[in-house]
Amino acid sequence: MSGKVLSISAYVVLACLLALVPLVRSDYWLGVAFIVAMWVALIQSWSLLSATTGYISLGHAVFYGIGAYVLVVSLDWMPVPFALLLSGAAAGLLALVVGLPVLRVKGPYFVILTFGFAELVKNLVMLIETRLGQFSRLIFDTPSLEELYYAMLALAVIATAMAAWTAHSRFGRGLAAIRENEVAAEAIGVPVTRLKLIAFVASAIIPGMVGGLLVLRTSYFAADQAFDATVSFTIVTTAIVGGLGSMSGPLFGTLFLVILSELLWARFPQAYMMILGALLIVFILFVPQGLSGLLRRGLRRA
Amino acid sequence: MAFVINRRTFLAAAALAPATRLAVAADNPVRIGYSMCLTGLFAQAAPSQVNAYELWKDQVNAAGGLEIGGQRRPVEFVSYDDQSNPANAVRIYEKLITEDNVDLLAAPWSTPIHLAIAPVLAKHKFPMVGNTAASVKLREVKPGYIWFPTAVIPDKVGEELAAFMAKENVKTAAVFANVLPLAQEIKAYLLPALEKNGIKLVANEDFPPDIKDMTTLISGANQSSPDAFIVLSYPSDTFLFATQAKQLNVKAPFVLSLIGATISAYQQAFGAGVDNMVTVGHWSPNQSKWPRARPFYDAYLAKYKEAPDALDSVLSYMSMEILQQAVATAGLDKEKIREAIASQTFDTINGPVKFDGVQNTMTPTSFLQIQDGNLELVWPDSIKTKDFRPKKGW
Repeated sequence: MSGKVLSISAYVVLACLLALVPLVRSDYWLGVAFIVAMWVALIQSWSLLSATTGYISLGHAVFYGIGAYVLVVSLDWMPVPFALLLSGAAAGLLALVVGLPVLRVKGPYFVILTFGFAELVKNLVMLIETRLGQFSRLIFDTPSLEELYYAMLALAVIATAMAAWTAHSRFGRGLAAIRENEVAAEAIGVPVTRLKLIAFVASAIIPGMVGGLLVLRTSYFAADQAFDATVSFTIVTTAIVGGLGSMSGPLFGTLFLVILSELLWARFPQAYMMILGALLIVFILFVPQGLSGLLRRGLRRA
Repeated sequence: MAFVINRRTFLAAAALAPATRLAVAADNPVRIGYSMCLTGLFAQAAPSQVNAYELWKDQVNAAGGLEIGGQRRPVEFVSYDDQSNPANAVRIYEKLITEDNVDLLAAPWSTPIHLAIAPVLAKHKFPMVGNTAASVKLREVKPGYIWFPTAVIPDKVGEELAAFMAKENVKTAAVFANVLPLAQEIKAYLLPALEKNGIKLVANEDFPPDIKDMTTLISGANQSSPDAFIVLSYPSDTFLFATQAKQLNVKAPFVLSLIGATISAYQQAFGAGVDNMVTVGHWSPNQSKWPRARPFYDAYLAKYKEAPDALDSVLSYMSMEILQQAVATAGLDKEKIREAIASQTFDTINGPVKFDGVQNTMTPTSFLQIQDGNLELVWPDSIKTKDFRPKKGW
């Protein structure tokens, strides 16, 4: 029990430290912290579905993209905070609508279906934009980087808190039962379909708002950029490096990869994608528990 | 740090370089930062930009360095990969400005990334001459610290293209457009202009960015044998169209592809097959009114063993020429540079350039045609290097 208190206080301290970053008064470091918070929010949300139930979504860019799109469209009628909430709601609604059919398939079929669905929505939005005669959209008078950063940090904290709550709740145990054996879980009375759908919707809302915040940061929306599939891939790879199935995994994975890419960026701009690729292979082969697993083992031995 | 390595390599190079005319403060290079699309969506297209930057740097350093208010200082680049992602590019420009404290900035690749970093430049009051961006949206950018030398602004392209087609007696046209922004913008302005010029549309189709087969589109249009095929394509579909138009024997005398036909690989791949193809661009090495054009072409060819992209390499090089001429008089003070860029007329490989707001008002919207392996300007009359020739076979 004391371990749990310890880890929760560690998170609180970390969140407070991150909240102080704007005091550094460097746009660059604030930008890095913004990216860290962004990936933590995305990966914690993704983990809520994929790490707990084993349904690996390779299409989370769709929620992020739809959030960006809804925000950019709704800004004409409402202030930024409402538009952001609407982004999250739209992503959740999309998950609700497609969740039932999509969650019927398992394993590699689910992976492919989510990926395909994201591409479908991307092309649909591109078509709609074309028909509207809007080929890309600019946003003016965006909030300052500090404000965007605090909003992103809040999303990261909420996503982490959701992950923490899920891990120790009846809901989370139901999801774990689905991961271990869905048929058996259903047989002993776990409401499998309902739980999966709730997890799917919950894992979509925050990515929708993250997409909205990011489009405010770049002040430019084009569908092919907003639904960029590499977002989906990066979520999965960072989660694997960090370690699936633990609250700290997404945090470690993000910190490690963001810091690493910042370092490699400056030192070896030509090679850093190759190094990232090699690292991913090393992690999958030799450190399947990810960084958080490595750390746990290290602590146990100590 | 990349900076240390760059400086070290630079010092080694400087030691080998012959003695130069003006005083060179070799220990104090001018650092120019930019982000590039080394990986990701635009990775294939980006070398045409970076090559032009490197050529410019070599030439400036060979001449003794960049002239800054009477003194010459060597140039070095500080660059990072943005993975073709506007959000990364925003961070990179913030890093270049606030962490690396570069002296000057060069432009990134693509319209989205230009538009994404415009607010960063405005916030830090750091002037930057853009290059590889083309959209009517550019005009919406608040003028101040960014400028766009391109003449490929979709509304003008649409109107000029229709006028050009009308003059070449085009009566019927098939229009195919990629759904990506630039193609769609041009189409939106082209269609009404075609109507105004009495040109009948026999086909009007959109296609996705990763299209693998255009045979149905092409053969469908072939049935009404239009005078013109206007293919508003991006590089990969430009190559695909040339392959399949040849197979399906497109007979139209006026055939245009939007982006990609100016890349030297295009002519390498299709040879005489793409002779008389029309494309969008406002530069030709054969325009004798622009004395800097031919030397640029020759130097690029000598360094990279291929011709420069008449659109993007040229715009990239122009943007550096503009910066170079601005700092020659203004020095490195950001506000003085801004004033210089906003008010001076610049002598570039593409002729004179002057900005009004964010836009270059001197370079006319023009069209190029591949003629016997050369890119010739065929429209408008004021700058054309050759007459238009109808396309005969593939």
